Formats: sequence, structure tokens, C-alpha cells
Amino acid sequence: MNIVVCLKQILDPEIPARDFSVDTEKLEARQGSASLVTNIFCENALETALQFRERSGGAKITVLSYGPASAEDSLRKGLAMKADAAALVLNESDTNPDPLRVAQVLAAAIKKLGIPDLIMLGRESGDWGVGQTGGLLAEELGLPCLSFVDHIETVAGQLLLKRQTESGWEQFEAKPPVVVTITNNEYNVPRIPKVRDVMSSYRQPLETWRPEDLGIAAETTNQYYEVVELFVPVKETSCEFAQGDSLNERVEAFAQRIVAVINTL
Amino acid sequence: MNDVVITFLSTTFDKAAQGLAGEGRRLADSLGVRLHAVVVGKPEADFTANLSRVADKLVFVDQSELSLYQPETYLTALTQLFQTLSANTLLLGNDTYSQELAPRLAHRLGGSAVGDAVALRVVDDKFLVTRQVYGGKAQAVIELKRRPAVVWLRARAFSPTSPRDVQGEISQLTLALQPDTRTRLIEQKREEQGEVRLEEARVIVSGGRGIGGPEPFESELKPLAELMGAQMAASRAACDAGWVLPTWQVGQTGKKVSPDLYLAIAITGASQHMAGISEAKTIAAINTDPDAPIFKHSRFGIVEDYRKVVPLLREKLSELRK
Amino acid sequence: MNPAEASRQIYWNITHIWVMYLLLIPTLVVAGYGVYRHLQRWRRGLPATRLDQPGRRVRLLLQHAAAQSRTARDVYAGLFHSFISYGFVVLTIATTVVALDADFGTTIMRGWFYLYFQSFIVDLFGVLVMIGILLAVARRYFTRPRKLVYTNEATLILAVIFLMCLQGFALEGWRIAVTNDPWAAWSPFGNLVAQASQGVMSKTQMRSAHLGVWWFHLVTVFCFIAWAPYTKMIHVVTAPLNIYTANLAPLGASLKTIDFEKAESFGVNSLARFTWKDLLDLDACTECGRCVAVCPANNVGKELSPRDLILQLRNLSAISSNGGPIIGASPAISPNALWQCTTCAACMEACPVFIEQMPKIVDMRRFLVMEEADFPDTMQAAVMSLEKRGHPFSGTQATRVDWTKGLEIKHVSELADAEVLLWVGCGGALVERNQAVTRATAQLLAQAGVKFAIMGRDEKCSGDPARRIGNEFLFETLVRENAANLNKYQVRKVITACPHCFNTFKNEYPQYGASFEVLHHSEYLAGLVEAGKIKPTAASDCKVTFHDPCYLGRQNGVYDAPRQLVQISIRDKAIEMERSRNQSFCCGGGGGMSFIEEPANLRVNQERAREALATGADVLAVGCPFCLTMMEDGVNAQKQDREMRVLDVAELLWEASRQVNV
Repeated sequence: MNIVVCLKQILDPEIPARDFSVDTEKLEARQGSASLVTNIFCENALETALQFRERSGGAKITVLSYGPASAEDSLRKGLAMKADAAALVLNESDTNPDPLRVAQVLAAAIKKLGIPDLIMLGRESGDWGVGQTGGLLAEELGLPCLSFVDHIETVAGQLLLKRQTESGWEQFEAKPPVVVTITNNEYNVPRIPKVRDVMSSYRQPLETWRPEDLGIAAETTNQYYEVVELFVPVKETSCEFAQGDSLNERVEAFAQRIVAVINTL
Repeated sequence: MNDVVITFLSTTFDKAAQGLAGEGRRLADSLGVRLHAVVVGKPEADFTANLSRVADKLVFVDQSELSLYQPETYLTALTQLFQTLSANTLLLGNDTYSQELAPRLAHRLGGSAVGDAVALRVVDDKFLVTRQVYGGKAQAVIELKRRPAVVWLRARAFSPTSPRDVQGEISQLTLALQPDTRTRLIEQKREEQGEVRLEEARVIVSGGRGIGGPEPFESELKPLAELMGAQMAASRAACDAGWVLPTWQVGQTGKKVSPDLYLAIAITGASQHMAGISEAKTIAAINTDPDAPIFKHSRFGIVEDYRKVVPLLREKLSELRK
Repeated sequence: MNPAEASRQIYWNITHIWVMYLLLIPTLVVAGYGVYRHLQRWRRGLPATRLDQPGRRVRLLLQHAAAQSRTARDVYAGLFHSFISYGFVVLTIATTVVALDADFGTTIMRGWFYLYFQSFIVDLFGVLVMIGILLAVARRYFTRPRKLVYTNEATLILAVIFLMCLQGFALEGWRIAVTNDPWAAWSPFGNLVAQASQGVMSKTQMRSAHLGVWWFHLVTVFCFIAWAPYTKMIHVVTAPLNIYTANLAPLGASLKTIDFEKAESFGVNSLARFTWKDLLDLDACTECGRCVAVCPANNVGKELSPRDLILQLRNLSAISSNGGPIIGASPAISPNALWQCTTCAACMEACPVFIEQMPKIVDMRRFLVMEEADFPDTMQAAVMSLEKRGHPFSGTQATRVDWTKGLEIKHVSELADAEVLLWVGCGGALVERNQAVTRATAQLLAQAGVKFAIMGRDEKCSGDPARRIGNEFLFETLVRENAANLNKYQVRKVITACPHCFNTFKNEYPQYGASFEVLHHSEYLAGLVEAGKIKPTAASDCKVTFHDPCYLGRQNGVYDAPRQLVQISIRDKAIEMERSRNQSFCCGGGGGMSFIEEPANLRVNQERAREALATGADVLAVGCPFCLTMMEDGVNAQKQDREMRVLDVAELLWEASRQVNV
């Protein structure tokens, strides 16, 4: 079974809000003190793939990314987590490419790698949170797609995909090849790679392409959509802290406020 | 050519449906065009009655090929449906099916999609959508370059419109569909969530990483929620730890809720969580850290260990409600 | 009778002496083989540099092998052990003297030497040995302290030694009686035996008894010699060796570095991955249990036992074919126990023979973390946060400069002539309670007119938690990043309120080429007070006791500076807890333990909190961000009627100094 997991490297989304700022001209966040990390849902996807491989007795997992040269670190970490192969399509000119552009690049790369049985992506990224790349990729490749999957099994050559819905879950049967986008659950928290695997990952081969090598334009023309404004909204509420000489008094004050709101409903 | 279409994949006229309909109506009015509603499902009495007071035309598609959800079959159906209408804007809600279909629908129709919209406007023919980005820390305005513009809304963030006097035309359509069998829904489960869905709840009691384990959700928070007539929710940290079901997750990648009162217990208030409750009218918080970001978004709060506060709070609330 | 000619006949009453020499051969072969086996075990290990600076090492030998100063910390045990050990030394010298005269034709055993030494002193020490044994027996079988190991071997050793002395006195007594020894009075105890025997035995009986007991004694002694290397008696050889090859650096510098370019594997999960010194440690253990008695984890009832760890490793080492995994091979070496260690090094401080227990635990943690990625979840979160965000406090929304609000603090790039860099540390910046300490320190420095700067957002964790958890790779990454930044800003002098940062900067960073002067904030502030730049004007009436942080006190020898700050901030005399200075009891936060959820009834900090509360103090003064939060939690968990505040020494000093009298 062949699996391709797409990874996106982004600025650490968990930096404190006070350290976050945007460049309103460049229309992107300033890096500041944020380090570059792999998007958590992409890591959930890779973890799901690795667990699937362990359960089903074997699969070849390739990690793929469309990103700047620094994205190599995300791919190396993927190799350290024991993905089998890695490929990078170098993005040297698209700042913040739209999801269609990304889908087109990934589609071309996947065709070059050979369409696998399973293509996995995170449901959305922690920076722009667009959530479209998986669906658009499926369209580019003419494949079926299922989103918010958190568990994959295989039974007699078919795939069993379990996915989260707002009210519970759904189980789908799927004939490969299929594209899935992965969401988080308590089981697909990404594993910590062993240090020795981290070290040997830098010695493994990493396929690097430019978009032209895959037969697509070097630069996007932002034909799908364009960011025209980016700002940090100022929203200050002043919080009233419950006061009192004793815990009892403070909780009393707090309870009063709660009841005041509920009574208006 | 320029009509607006709103899409419904279920037939309950809940807050989400009302928001979607309302925004569709407002947009159509501002552009001076008609509002079409496309519904996959049976024309259900209440739903039809309410929707026909908002949309100009209603088209129902209810056929066996669509009785069980299958993404590619639904996509084909919606593509065909849309192509019968002379519209260039397609709006959907943010339920699971709409979210996964919208981008693909845009692709098939040669348009552009964007999601989780909190505001829409058309300026000089440019379709501009406002949405939260960077885990809720920033807002962006996106210009869609291709038509049709396919947008899924953070539906409950939009207010309904008042019903019109005139009723919309109702019709049914049967499409020539070849169902796609590459994937097939074989099982569905609805989790016990209380009578009211989280997205519809008016009062929510939510627990975070600081709760420390699954038991306090049951033993401390649940009785409190019951007293307050509240639904229960949790932050991503609590869900990832397996303390509560994933369906309890509120946040950037969980439920987007808009209650009148959101009580955050032992939740830090990281922007990804705040992104799910930005529409909450009043936020209150219990946390041991006075500098926790949650307090910057709260109307009132108490700096204390929830283990000390919650039992006492339950007592007080019982007394006050008598 | 001329004392100058005083002596006795060697081998009186004994014939066929050649049998003794014959029996010596198997004795020496067996004993020699026993020693050889130990050597073989040590040889299995990796190299270590422990033979440098012989002058210092000899001094250690004199202090600890000869004077046994650590053994003497326990007065009772110290007493009986010195009786036994010095007694043995004296008796061995005496036997050597006899051998020299008997086999090498010397005439040492004559005259005043014979009388004063060979007769009197030897008799005295012989009795001291027996008294020592009796005192040891009383402790082992009547008091029964928990920390001892109760084996048959231990009982047998005590019994055999006592027997040998008993035999010796019997032989001496009977010889004196039968030969009418003119110098009998010089051997008072032998003389006693002689007089007592004369009452009940005839000379003929004494002769035969003497003959029989002489050979009995010979066999006993030879068996003892042959047997000793196979028991903990080997410590007679291994303890001095271990003391000689001890780590001369402060306790805070006990961990090994790894050469990631060359290392084939990381950490230790087999005996061959220990150094020869580690393996020597195992054979030096006398099973005294002092390390167990001071181990904070063990004290609160956790499984960790530094002594059992060493003894079980020793048992594994004795299985010559053991190249297999050691982690989990025995209960004391289980991962569970390994993850309970706070790396406080109390075990190493207590050990009379300088065994290094704690570094072995970290070695095994390194294997679990770097080779297996198998370690507690909460520590994993801390490690991931260190990798991504450069601090271990996963989930915090605080920034590194939040604490500067309202204060004029300059970044090091803005202050070219800064005298000193205030290294804030992760706790001091990101933990709300510790921010108050950073503020107090900064305000004191400002008041004293010190030109100081901070690294602000350029600070990354010093790496201490990564290293102690066992992720040496991450530690090295952090060291290099910090070193690059410190060099970039040409920082020469650093002060920090965190003893963990202090320790790693002082003892570990230089190993990576990053050398600069570093002081604990209490040292620097004490200097300012002495120079008159800080004048406490409002000394408090509070009763204060100071808790020595392990990484400041025991591991780096800084005890007085924080006490100076305490004393100058209060009116009364500061109270000392019983377990203080180098014997301070850990707060439980080191070694990555503050990132572990301990079971509610097994909390190290609560044990120390009880001790602090028992002093009756109003304030517990600390000098470490971990101690501060751990002790506050610990104190709060004791449901007390009275309040005990926990304050850093800088906070105490600031409270007393903030009103400046112009």
C-alpha cells in the first residue's frame, strides 16, 4: 500500500497573542519570536498514517511538501518519525499561494511520484486555516475525498474511514485511491521521534523539485483568490474580577453575576 | 446571471439555517438580485414555510440517489442544480457536509471558494469575504477572483431577517444522477449531547486543560451545567487528552458557538479557543492565573482554583434560584 | 628483665608451620581470583579520565579513606566503624611485623616497640574491634534501622570478625599463662584471659587448647581472606580506589557529555555502556543505606532507592555473561523508579565512598528518551515545548518580557556598557509567581545603580530540564543557541535567580566553549549590600527560615550569600532547619520532576513543607523558581491555621529596602 502525506511548515501558531503582529503591507504575519513548525493537523495525518501502517502490516509512506527551503526540516522530521521517503517542491516565489495553486503543485508532484492508494492532508493549517487544499487536490486528481477523518483501517483491499461530524461520527468504506483530510483526536497525537532517527533522517535522500520540473508555472498568478487586507482587530474587554474578603464572598459575587445573565434569557 | 443561491443539506430551520438565509437575503437585496434556495431533502412543512418567507425561489431535490450522503454524488447533484440557475454566488452553512463540498463545488464550477466567513460584501463587482486567520489572532479580507463565488458562512454569526409577506416559489427537481460508488457511508453515530446542540446552546459550561482529568467533568462541571441549564463543552487540550468526546471541542477546529453565556473553567484562552467563541455574548472565567488571556475577553471572572469555586458556586446558584 | 630485649617466641607451641604456607596458596588463589573478577567487571566499561590531579586525589584519600570524615557524620556508626577499621589496620600491621621477623629475619618485634605497639596498642585495638562489632550488632539486630540491608552475609561477616578477635585473645591469654610471660601486663586484655583461664584450666589443657585454637584461627582467617573479595568486604580495596578516582568537579558537574558525531548509541542500557568508574562504583558499595536515608523520593515512600539501584546493578554485573538490557531487569532499575529522581545529588553527598548514583540514573534516562522516545507524557509535552518554543511551559500565553511592564529594562543590544546581564530564565519570565522575583531583583539592581540588561526574547531555556530529563541532544542544541547569542552580545558576566541556570552556565556550558562569569543573584546582591549600595531600612519582624536549593547549595557550595540577604532583611536571627546546607532536603522540583504529576500522597514538596512549618517560621525563604512554586504548593497543601509565606531572598530584601532614605 502506498501513502502520500502532505505536510505544511508554518510559523508556530501557539506563540502568545502579545508576541503576534502582522505586516499590513506584506499581508502576512511577522515571524518575531515564532519558530517554524509542521502544522499540527499535518502531523496528526502522518501519525495516523504511521499507526495505520503498524496495524495493517506494511505500507510505504512518502511525505511531501510545497514550501520554501526551510520546509525541508518538516520533511526531515517526517523521516525521523519513520516515513520512508520525502519530496519537496521548492516554493521560491509564491508568498502565501492560494489553495488552488497549492493543490495544483501537489497534484503534479503526486503524479510524478505515482498516484498512491491514499493521499492524506491535515484538515486545515494553523496559520491561514483555509481548509480547502485537500478537496481541491482531490478535484485536480479526479479522486474521491473525505474530510475530518481520524481513523483508518483496511479490510480486504478496501479502506474503512471514520470521520468526525458535528454530532458524532460516520464510517465510510472507500476504494483506493482516495484523498482524506485528517483532524485531531486523542490517539493521533504525533509521536516524538528518537534522537537517533532525527540524526539519521538528515542522511536520507530527499527529492527536490521546482514547479517547472513538474510542468507547471514557476509562479502563481493568484487566479483563485487574493488576500487584500490583513489586520489584528483591537478588542479589549475589561474583566470584572470577583472581590471579597473571603472565598465565600467572592463566589457569592460571581454567582450573582451569572444569575443576572441567565435571568435575562 | 448574478443571482444568489443558498444551499441547505438538511431540513431544520435552526439558528444556522436562519443565519444563512438571512445573509443570503441581505446580499441579494444589496445587489438587487433574486435569492434562490437549493435544498437536498424532503420539503418538510416547518422548514419550507420559514424558508419560503425568505427566498424568492425554492428548489427541492429529494431522490433515492441522495437519500444517503455520498460526497461525489452530492457534488454532481449540486453542480447540476447550480448550473440550472443563473447565479454567480453560492452560500452554504458550516456543517460538516457543506464544509467538505464547498471547495470542490467551486472547482467544478470554475469559481473560487472561501470559508468560515464572518462578513461578506460586494464592492465594485469585487466579492470580498472577511474571515479569522492565524488561529483567531487576526482577520483577513479575501477577494475571490473567479465566479461563482462559493462561500461557506459561520452561519450562526449572522442574524436572521424578518419573514417577508410574499412567499417564494417552491418547486421540486429530479436530476439524472449516476451515483459514485468509490466511497460509501456504512454507519453513522450521533453522540449523546444533551437535548440542545452546542451550536444552538444559549448557556455553555466549558472545561480546559486545568481541569486535570475526566472525572471532574462528570462530578463537578456536569451538576453545575445542569443547575445553569447549560450544555457542556471543552477546549482542544481536554479533548486531545481523551477526557471528553471530540464533539465537545470548541475552538478554531471545533464547534463555533454563540451562546449568551460562556463559562470557561480552567481554560487559558489561547486564540485558537477564542476563535470558536468569538460570537459569545458574555464570557465568564474561573482560572488560577490572573494573567490568563481568557480574562482579557471576559466580562467577569474569579481568580481561584476551580476545585474550590465550583462546589461553592453550585450551592450559591441553588440558593439564588429558589 | 631488660625491656630492650622484650619479645615473645613466634610460633610458640606450633609445629609443621609449612602447613600454614601451604594453605596460604589456595587462600591467595581464591582471594586473588575474587579480586581479579572485580577487575574484569570494571574492564568491561568505557574509558574515563579519573587519574588526573593526583595531589587532590591523595588529599581525598587522606580525608575520606583514612580519616573517614563522611562516615563520622553519623556519630554512632562512625565510632564503631573506626574501631573496626582502625583496629584492622593495627592488627594487620602487627601481623606484618610478625611475618617480617618470621620470614625475613628482621628484628622489629623487640624492645619498646614490642611493648608499646605490638603488645599494648594491639591489645587495645583488638578490644576496640570487638566493641565495634558489638555496637554494630546492637544497631543491626536491636535498633534495626530501615536503611540497612539485612542479609546473612552481613551477619556472618560480623560474627567471623568477632570470632577472629576472640580466638586471638584466647591464644594470647593461654600463651601468657603457660609461658609465664614477664611482659604480660603490657597486654592487659590478653592478661585478663590468662588470669581467668588459670582459674579453670591446667597448663597442659591450655597448651592443647592453644594448639587447637591456633589452627582454628588460621583456618578462620584464611577462609575470611579468601571469602572477603566475594562480599562487601571488598570495600576495603574498592572504597579507597573509588575515593581516589572520584569526580573532582562540583556535584553540579556530575553528568557526562556525549560526542554526537562519534557515539554509536546514546545513554546506557547495558553494563558495557557504563564507564569503568561507574562499574567500580558498584563494587565500592558497603550497603550502608545513607543514600536511601537522604533520598527525597524514597523518603516520601516512592520506589526509588539509590542504594538498591547500585546493588542491583552490581548483581547484574556479577553475571559475567550479562550484556543484556539493564533497565527493567530489576525493580530498583525500573523506569518507574528512574522517573522519580529529582537529581538533587543528596545520595552522592551522603555516600562515604563517593559512589555516583544520580549520573547513572540520568544515563539510563538518556537511553529511554533518546533511543526509545519512551518517557512520561507530561515530560514529553515539556520537551516538545522546549524544541518549538525554547521553554518547557507548554501552553503558557506569557511572553518573556511581560514582567518588565512598568519598569525601564533595557535589552542587551541597547546598552553597550552594561556591567552585567540579568538572565531571567523560563520560570522567572513565564511563571506568574516567579515574575515577582524577577521584578524584585531588577528593582534592587536599579536602586543600586547597576547598569544591567536582559536578553529578552533572545533567551532560550538554559537547557537544564532537557539535560536532566535525558534529552542530551536537545540540551546541546539549546546550549549552542544560547552560547551564540551570548557571544553575539559579548556578554561576560551573568547573574541569575535560578540555580539550575546558574549551575549549567557555570559547570556545563564551558564544556561547549561558552565561558563567562556567572553568579547567583543572591551572591551579586550580597556583594551590593556589602558595598553599601543596597541598604535595607525596614527590617522585618518575621521569623524566617531558609531552604537551601540543591543546585545552589549542595551542588555548588553557595550557602552563605542567600543567608546574608535573609539576615540583613530581618531583625531576629534566622532559623536553620535541621536538614540544611549540604544536607538540605530537596523541594522535589529538579530533574524534570516539576513537569510530572506526582500521586497526591507521595509528594516530596509536602515533606519539606512540613519540616519548614515545624520551625514555627512565618516566612520560608528560597533562592530558586522551582523551590518557590513547589514550596508554595507544599505549604498550601498542609491545612494550617497560620500562614507561612514563601518568598525569594530577593523579594525579602526588596521588602526591606524599597523605601530609600534620601
